[in-house]
Amino acid sequence: ASNYPPIWPYPQSFTNGSTTVSVDPNFKFAASMQSDDLDAAFKRFDALFFPHRANNGGVLNNVAIMVQNVTEQLQLYSDESYTLYIPADGTAAISITAQTVFGVYNALQTLSQLIVFDFNTQTYQVSLAPWRITDFPRFKHREVLLDSSRHFEPVQTIKNLIDSLTYAKINVIHWHIVDSQSFPFDSPTYPLLGQKGSYSPQERYSMDDVADVVEYARQRGVRIMIEIDNPGHAASWCPGYPDVCPSTTCLQPLNPATNATFDLMAGLFRDFTGGVRGGGVVFDNMFHLGGDEVDTSCWTNTPAIASWMKQQGFTADQTYEYFVKRAQAITHAQGRDVVGWEEIWNHFGTQLDKSTIIHQWLPGSKVAVAATAAGYRVLWSTDGVWYLDGLQVTWETMYVQEPCVGIPDNLCNTLVLGGGGEMWGETVDTSDIQSTIWPRLAAIGERLWSPRTVTSTDAAHVRMANFRCLLNRRGVAAAPINNPTARSAPPGPGSCLDQ
Amino acid sequence: INAEYMGIVELACADGCAVSMKLLLVVLFSLIALSDARRHRRARAAPSPYRFSEEELQQTSHEDLVDILLHRNGIPAPETPEEPAIAAAADNYPPIWPYPAKFSNGTASVTVNPTGFKFTAPESDRDLRAAFERFERLFFPHRAAAGGTISAVQVTVSAFNVQLQLGIDESYTLDVPMQGPIRISAGTVYGAYHALQTLSQLIVFNFDTQLYTIALAPWHIEDRPRFTHREVLLDSSRHFEPVQTIMNLIDSLTYAKVNVIHWHIVDSQSFPFDSPSYPLLGKMGSWSAQERYTIFDVQDVVEYARERGVRIMIEIDNPGHAGSWCKGYPDVCPSVQCPEPLNPATNATFDLIDGLFRDFTGGARGGGVVFENLMHLGGDEVDTSCWSSTPAIAQWMKDNSLTPDLTYEYFVRRSQAIAHAQGRDVVGWEEIWNHFGTQLDKSTIIQQWLGGSTIAQNATAHGYRVLWSTDGVWYLDGLTTTWATMYSQEPCTGIPDNLCDMLVLGGGGEMWGETVDTSDIQNTIWPRLAAIAERLWSPRDVTDLSAAKPRIASFRCLLNRRGVMAAPINNPTARSAPPGPGGCLVQ
Repeated sequence: ASNYPPIWPYPQSFTNGSTTVSVDPNFKFAASMQSDDLDAAFKRFDALFFPHRANNGGVLNNVAIMVQNVTEQLQLYSDESYTLYIPADGTAAISITAQTVFGVYNALQTLSQLIVFDFNTQTYQVSLAPWRITDFPRFKHREVLLDSSRHFEPVQTIKNLIDSLTYAKINVIHWHIVDSQSFPFDSPTYPLLGQKGSYSPQERYSMDDVADVVEYARQRGVRIMIEIDNPGHAASWCPGYPDVCPSTTCLQPLNPATNATFDLMAGLFRDFTGGVRGGGVVFDNMFHLGGDEVDTSCWTNTPAIASWMKQQGFTADQTYEYFVKRAQAITHAQGRDVVGWEEIWNHFGTQLDKSTIIHQWLPGSKVAVAATAAGYRVLWSTDGVWYLDGLQVTWETMYVQEPCVGIPDNLCNTLVLGGGGEMWGETVDTSDIQSTIWPRLAAIGERLWSPRTVTSTDAAHVRMANFRCLLNRRGVAAAPINNPTARSAPPGPGSCLDQ
Repeated sequence: INAEYMGIVELACADGCAVSMKLLLVVLFSLIALSDARRHRRARAAPSPYRFSEEELQQTSHEDLVDILLHRNGIPAPETPEEPAIAAAADNYPPIWPYPAKFSNGTASVTVNPTGFKFTAPESDRDLRAAFERFERLFFPHRAAAGGTISAVQVTVSAFNVQLQLGIDESYTLDVPMQGPIRISAGTVYGAYHALQTLSQLIVFNFDTQLYTIALAPWHIEDRPRFTHREVLLDSSRHFEPVQTIMNLIDSLTYAKVNVIHWHIVDSQSFPFDSPSYPLLGKMGSWSAQERYTIFDVQDVVEYARERGVRIMIEIDNPGHAGSWCKGYPDVCPSVQCPEPLNPATNATFDLIDGLFRDFTGGARGGGVVFENLMHLGGDEVDTSCWSSTPAIAQWMKDNSLTPDLTYEYFVRRSQAIAHAQGRDVVGWEEIWNHFGTQLDKSTIIQQWLGGSTIAQNATAHGYRVLWSTDGVWYLDGLTTTWATMYSQEPCTGIPDNLCDMLVLGGGGEMWGETVDTSDIQNTIWPRLAAIAERLWSPRDVTDLSAAKPRIASFRCLLNRRGVMAAPINNPTARSAPPGPGGCLVQ
């Protein structure tokens, strides 16, 4: 095995030669259309391409970028494809073509991995030129789940994470922003949620903080999908607004018997969505409503709720369905498509609106097979194999998963949107989030980007080791790839390539 | 004079007279001394600004010695700290880490206006302007509502263009009034940086009002470090630590006013430095083609650190801990099977050391890529068995009537002479004191490290300067050493106050790299280094752990907010994960 191709994730198709060509660090980026986003990207990539001071000179000294559309809003179905041509001599410039700026970013990421500093000559080089790469992601949605409730994850921590995601072409943060343990978001509409529900006065996000994260991510081609898990996983809502909870001793699921609950949800959602499709502080058109692990005993145990259910003729499960559907209706009215954890499929199946996206997570689950067969779109992040808080799950295990097992090709292509690695935060704060996520998320990153046939862990091993070293050189705290337990320290002295 | 030694001198000259005549003489005299060691030893090598006889030491006044040793000429001695006037109710009090030397405060809250906030200084200085840009981001991490009473900080610096060296003035005063501009005055930009760090901890975003506020105003702070040298050791040999990793570390150091990276850049496991003079060292001795530093990389690190008031002290450990040198230059090692200590019997070894040092020093005091005037030569854990078991070296020792220990002494002294000739003061691990004691040049700085060692007492009693980083309490690779243990150490235990003040330069936390790479270096170092930093900065009587605990918890949360991967303070083992969900203040 060798580090070939020296690109992570593995591109869809490529050819290369055998020439080593030098690159001049006095490098020019030129695009066919003016774009502030592209100009900002060029500055970032210039720093990534040329991390060392070097001798001036080199055969290749510019990249010419043909881009069709520089204003398209970043959404689920945005075109991320690109072509990249690196000539073997100076007769032509490096060239990139892409439909969108997001495709350009992906091309530049690939190029940043091909340009290598040669310490002996103090020059930058691309090996195995000429390169002709035609690349696009196999799946549109390649996420990492970020849990800022079990531990607060500061804005700087999230921005650092976003930088690292782009290196592996991960394009979504599924931001599980609140849960039972804490409510770190300062809702402008319901300010007591954050004031009373956060861990401490500083462990909160202002609305502007969220806007800054969204903008930072957007500039890098990363979507932010907010999850407001309900009606379970919501106990932190109660300190600020006790009415929305069954009682002070039985906090969740949220109270289905009062409009106060749904009013609060509408206001809270609107803080993010602005009430219109593609609008608001978080313009992403997918909104995750959770819906998982709903234990209805607090409903049946709370007399007022029990009596309301009886009045309506609702069983506990029908109440759950009513809640989920009403929460979805609020979200739809604000122009969002709804994502939910697989329990909503398991309980309500085809009763759900056809636009609902089902997120498979239960260990051993095959819900994606059933849901796609019924025409629903799915995300795949199964516990035990793609849960990043599973510290015993190695990158190899993550690498060999296949979201489309048992799903016909046509449904795989149209309805399996992707999935990702879920970084539940029970034991993860700023101190260890990067080393718990990386390098394993890179394995998921390649599964979600690269051709289905690229599955050999033996072939991937050297490439993975190199990519881990690259992450380290860029300051990302990616742990050794050979450790049996995630985020454990290197076992002893050694090269990053061997550990 | 032994003809063999003359031969060495002639050979050095035949190689191009790369060493100065002064060094030749020094080496010559040292060698004469060594060759006849049992009769009389000649302790002194190159002139040193710090050389005192014990009589001189007793006769010079304390104040004069402080001025001389710490280059404080012309800078008035700071006042004795007073007790804080107000004991506030808040646990995180004062909300400043490390604890300032002297301060007073009130009870009011004032607001700071981030919109158009002005940093002003009477003189325009490039470094200061760059610092202002950095600190503006640290002061105001959130978008905020417009408004606030205070909208400027005025910074006065007495002397610009002071080269960052051991003992430079780092003191400052900081006044946060009820209204009008915040005022900072400092002797140097480095003092001004510390003032701005302190201020960055006082300005807190209020999420409820969306305003930046300073609690307990007005503040008057007169601050300076207790010790001038506050280091973290960075080991880039056991694992390569990329330039970006080092720059991120430097940022974090400044938050705790840690002011030195003791860069243990090479060791037996790998040689990641591409020496321009001896290129095969890095080419053959590094872990892999990318795990290397160019001389420009080193220069970029030094400059990045300098702009932030952090010194870079290079350690080239010798003659032990040098096995990685053999791959590029086998001649400097006893043999392939027995690679270290370095070969004392050939001038090739000392020529290489001279060239390698010169890559960093430029050959002149205050010059070169690493302009720092302290250079660490290691000298620890020298097992001489490779010398005795290598026939050619054993024969050479016999020819020169050298025992293994005398050979070790010769090596250490010759290596020191090379560093002295390049204008550097030498730091060495405590073994060189344990072996050679007062035979060492008086300018030598002894670093205490052995578990349970008290050599700092002995060395200071003899007029030597010391650094304190004792294994078991200040070794950051000791994962079961808690911040509280680190906090409770006192480098001047058993040392008279006058010697403590002038000869104990400081010390620091040693991040040996056996199990530390980019993935865990920050959470192994932090938050424990903060405990050491407060010990080295703050008044000696600031020792109460229960008072420190809420402050270090708050400081840990601040580090996290700035993106530093500081681990929970309550975990019994360093860099372990938080035990479960919780707020950062309680973990």
